[in-house]
Amino acid sequence: MLVSYNWLKDFLKMDGVDPHALAEKLTRSGVEIASTVHPMDGLSKLVVGHILTCEKIEGTHLNKTTVDVGEDEPRQIVCGAPNVAAGQDVIVALPGAHLPGGKIKKGKIRGVQSDGMICGLQELGFADGVVPPKYADGIWVFHDPDLKAGMPVFEALGMDDYVLDFDITPNRADTSSMEGAAFEVGALIDQKPKIEEVSVQADGPDWTGDFTAVADEKIAPKYYLRKVTGVKIGESPLWLQRRLWNANIRPINNVVDATNYVMLLTGQPMHAYDARMFADTKKIEVRLAKEGEKLELLNEKLIDLDPQDIVITDGEKPFGLAGVMGGFNSEVKDDTTDVILEAAIFDPALTRKAALRHDNRTDASALFEKGINWDATQKSIDICSLLLKENADATIDEGTLKATDTVKAEKVITTTASRTNKILGTDLSMDQIVEIFHKLNFGITTNGDEYTVTVPNRRWDIFIDADLFEEVGRIYGYDNIKSTHPETGELAGGYTEEETKVRHLRNLVEGQGLSETINYSLTSEEMATTFVKKPLAKVMVNWPLNSARTTMRQNLICSLLDTAAYNFARKQNELQIFENGRVYDMEGGDYHEHEHLAAMYVGLAGQSNWQHQDEKIDFYYVKGQLEDLLEMAGVKADVEYKAEAIKGMHPTRTAAIYIDGKYVGLIGQIAPILTMTDKNFLGKEIYVYELNLDEILPLMNKGVKSKPAPKYPAVERDLSILVDQDVTDASVEAEIKDNAGKYLVQVDVIDVYEGAHLPKGKKSLAYRLTFLNEKDTLTDAVVTKAMDQVQAALEEKLSATIR
Amino acid sequence: MDLFDRLKALREQGLNDIKEAENEKSLNDVRVKLVGKKGELTEILHQMKDVAPEKRREVGQKVNELRDLFNENLSQAKDALVEKAIEAKFEEEKIDVTLPGRRRHMGSKHPIRIIQDDLERFFIGMGYQVVQGPEIESEHYNFEMLNLPKDHPARDMQATFYVDDDHLLRSQTSPVQARTMEKHDFSKGDLKMISPGKVYRRDDDDATHSHQFMQMEGLVVGKNISLSDLKGTLELVAKHEFGQDRETRLRPSYFPFTEPSVEMDVSCFECGGKGCAICKQTGWIEVLGAGIVHPNVLSAAGIDPQVYSGFAFGLGLDRFAILKYGIDDIRDFYSDDVRFLQQFRQEED
Repeated sequence: MLVSYNWLKDFLKMDGVDPHALAEKLTRSGVEIASTVHPMDGLSKLVVGHILTCEKIEGTHLNKTTVDVGEDEPRQIVCGAPNVAAGQDVIVALPGAHLPGGKIKKGKIRGVQSDGMICGLQELGFADGVVPPKYADGIWVFHDPDLKAGMPVFEALGMDDYVLDFDITPNRADTSSMEGAAFEVGALIDQKPKIEEVSVQADGPDWTGDFTAVADEKIAPKYYLRKVTGVKIGESPLWLQRRLWNANIRPINNVVDATNYVMLLTGQPMHAYDARMFADTKKIEVRLAKEGEKLELLNEKLIDLDPQDIVITDGEKPFGLAGVMGGFNSEVKDDTTDVILEAAIFDPALTRKAALRHDNRTDASALFEKGINWDATQKSIDICSLLLKENADATIDEGTLKATDTVKAEKVITTTASRTNKILGTDLSMDQIVEIFHKLNFGITTNGDEYTVTVPNRRWDIFIDADLFEEVGRIYGYDNIKSTHPETGELAGGYTEEETKVRHLRNLVEGQGLSETINYSLTSEEMATTFVKKPLAKVMVNWPLNSARTTMRQNLICSLLDTAAYNFARKQNELQIFENGRVYDMEGGDYHEHEHLAAMYVGLAGQSNWQHQDEKIDFYYVKGQLEDLLEMAGVKADVEYKAEAIKGMHPTRTAAIYIDGKYVGLIGQIAPILTMTDKNFLGKEIYVYELNLDEILPLMNKGVKSKPAPKYPAVERDLSILVDQDVTDASVEAEIKDNAGKYLVQVDVIDVYEGAHLPKGKKSLAYRLTFLNEKDTLTDAVVTKAMDQVQAALEEKLSATIR
Repeated sequence: MDLFDRLKALREQGLNDIKEAENEKSLNDVRVKLVGKKGELTEILHQMKDVAPEKRREVGQKVNELRDLFNENLSQAKDALVEKAIEAKFEEEKIDVTLPGRRRHMGSKHPIRIIQDDLERFFIGMGYQVVQGPEIESEHYNFEMLNLPKDHPARDMQATFYVDDDHLLRSQTSPVQARTMEKHDFSKGDLKMISPGKVYRRDDDDATHSHQFMQMEGLVVGKNISLSDLKGTLELVAKHEFGQDRETRLRPSYFPFTEPSVEMDVSCFECGGKGCAICKQTGWIEVLGAGIVHPNVLSAAGIDPQVYSGFAFGLGLDRFAILKYGIDDIRDFYSDDVRFLQQFRQEED
């Protein structure tokens, strides 16, 4: 809502109230003022000019005019506007004038001297949307006899005003009108606003006996009609037009402008119907639309009405979508003479839904959905009638036809001063509280600690005591409230155990050199279950924004791949990144969220260097990182890596990870079929791992039981064997561990060889076994015996040849 | 030439030979020649029989003096040669210390996470528990429990991703408030919690909108919680996050789940309050929304609003990061260009 400072003067004494200071006060106490605009800022030398002569310049679209600008001699000005004519009062920018488009200079146009410019409103900075249609493509023409040549134009055009942009929260729609704004400003500057009361002296006959209005209280609890006749459609007076355009409303004609003006004044949307449309039935019926009914709106949009739309009909055909927009066929036209005015309260939810359903939100529908002052219906329709009488020579017929007239009782709320102070943390006396409600023009009575407030219907946002506390708090001033700290007694803050562990893991991974990413949970249906060993029932959103964001991810790798593609496209080809976040499914019909951790490695382990000591990332580098991570995280259980095929992963370079027989995640290379065919990935080797933290966190051991470093030396023995190529390291290590006795503390693979020097189908593996007796020196005999057992087992179980 | 002349000549010759020896081997040859078992000094001693007896003592003395002198010079010469050899080796080993070192990749924390971790520690220090809640939330917790009944116009304020008729991707972290209040046992003390996490809105992604972002919710419920407590707490947060010299102001606002509702602004850290593009010429930057928990919200969670009161606040972690680090496109957080991410390494604490 754009609130005119000058218009506020109708209600309040604004002397000494600086518009910018007022804006700050409003922001701190009631409604945020997004901006305070003084339209004439930066403009100068713009005066009223009277065109004395106007003649065409041969062979051009231009006119040569002489214009009286209040100086001794008229000025010669060239003007290209199609609507320029002798006798007009116009806006003249004198040489040296500053306009939003630049400075005006004397000069010659097509060889003809021009000492200034005749302006349209847009050239003064008016938005296209507020310039009256008649002047949209030409210069502005004044019709005000009080204007004299040479006067500055700013006051006449309302540009001397300050326009405060009320950024209204949904609860404070009461300030969406000048009267509402005046009450709000009045409360802050401690003045009671002067609200105009009107009474209509009808000069036409009573029309109510000859016309019927029917409405359902549920959909239109108030429905008032008035009739005026003999309307002469024309322009509104300038004072009214400038109030409209300063509120960002385009003046159209004296009837439409009057309805818009009343809406600005009281917040009551008004509608004007051409009475001819109801001549046959002499009836207006407000009802829900019927299936199959159609309506062409004012903006020439043809809509299929919904049975939940409220429509205005002549008893048969719909003529308007109630509270949203009138129909094209009942619009006031240039030859309209008799007008039926409507002021009503429509059901807010139905109005809102209709506006949304037909994608046709209007100022009126916004007001209906946010609330209307139930006590302003009669006044609004009366003022509108009077404006038509004044501005369009209308005759007002006697009587207001009321199809419904529900009375809304004022709310009465009782609470106590002590509770008010307790909630606000203040120490206000009853007198101070009473004074605040007087400023707001609410009724208040007191009884000891108790007070009772009667809330006028213009403040429909107030229901309960907490609403009153807000009024007290904001008018007293949040700046005046002390800053204290909650007295909650001793409370130990902290993370849950799971949260602590998750943060520990994030820190460890970051310490391994990975950059943390945060990615979108929504992905494509396809990617949601790629890189997933066992896809679960998918969670999909009903109205996705696009096909790439339809489904909640069941893995993080798909997100890291998005990040990789984005980075590769920007020539960032070295990636060591991770994400910790959730994955989602609805297996079994219930929604599930699991905490995951995934990492991605592409390129070199370290940064490329001049010594050419570059380590290329491969499966084993990443596996080493994961092994380090699990060890540092305190996962003591045996971790098993089994070669498995998983969708999206390299068929022979991927392992499913099991701990204590439970699947906890995967590690491997992204499938070449993805990286080779997708130009985003340029055939890169991309390695990843992903862990289900719901499984990992319980395995993370906290707390260390210390023991001293071993006092006795360890003994190392190397073992080299020849086995079939498909024998895995894991199976060899398992045999070693099963057979090397209790002093074996470590097994390391020290060499793997497959190639020309070996028999076909064979490979050579070499291990270093470390033995340690923590209590005594190990003898050679003990170790040799252990080695013999290991060798025998390997020969027997794995057909190994000891080399 | 008598023995004295020979000794004199040997002294001159010997010292010169020592001096001129170029390496340890030639020095050793000189040593053997001068003081060796078959060396010249020994030979001179062998000729003692030809010396007059009264002079033998003097000759012997001279020979011993000369031996000592040679040995001393030989030893010094040897040390010098060793030193020279080591120096030559070091010269060979010389490197250019100005060449760059081999760098590993360094990890980095996501900027939103830096803000989140920092705020978490800040609130934990004031006794808040960090609580998590589901992202796929029921309408019941996302709306109804928060005083947003069906048909409430504020449900239009948030275009929401529904996953079925009554479940949605939570549009705010506030449902965690409702869940926590419902479970909290007030006989064990008041409730102080924060809840950070992802939230979702049906907005097309652009520089200032994201269909997914991160919020942090805070809630304190007890028997004596007031708006002044909220004001004091929020001022601490603002100063902690945006600088001790920042001014703050509370403005009335509207959230269905709080009454009164406020928003907090801090004085613009770019212009200090004079007005600039960042604060849209207002001198103030909005940082969070808050309020006194609406009695309907307390009642819905089974808490008697006549006995208990509370305050709640919600802040955008993305927004804090945007303001703190001068980020001008929210999409940067989620596209994760590594060059963008890694500049935050120095923010680590």
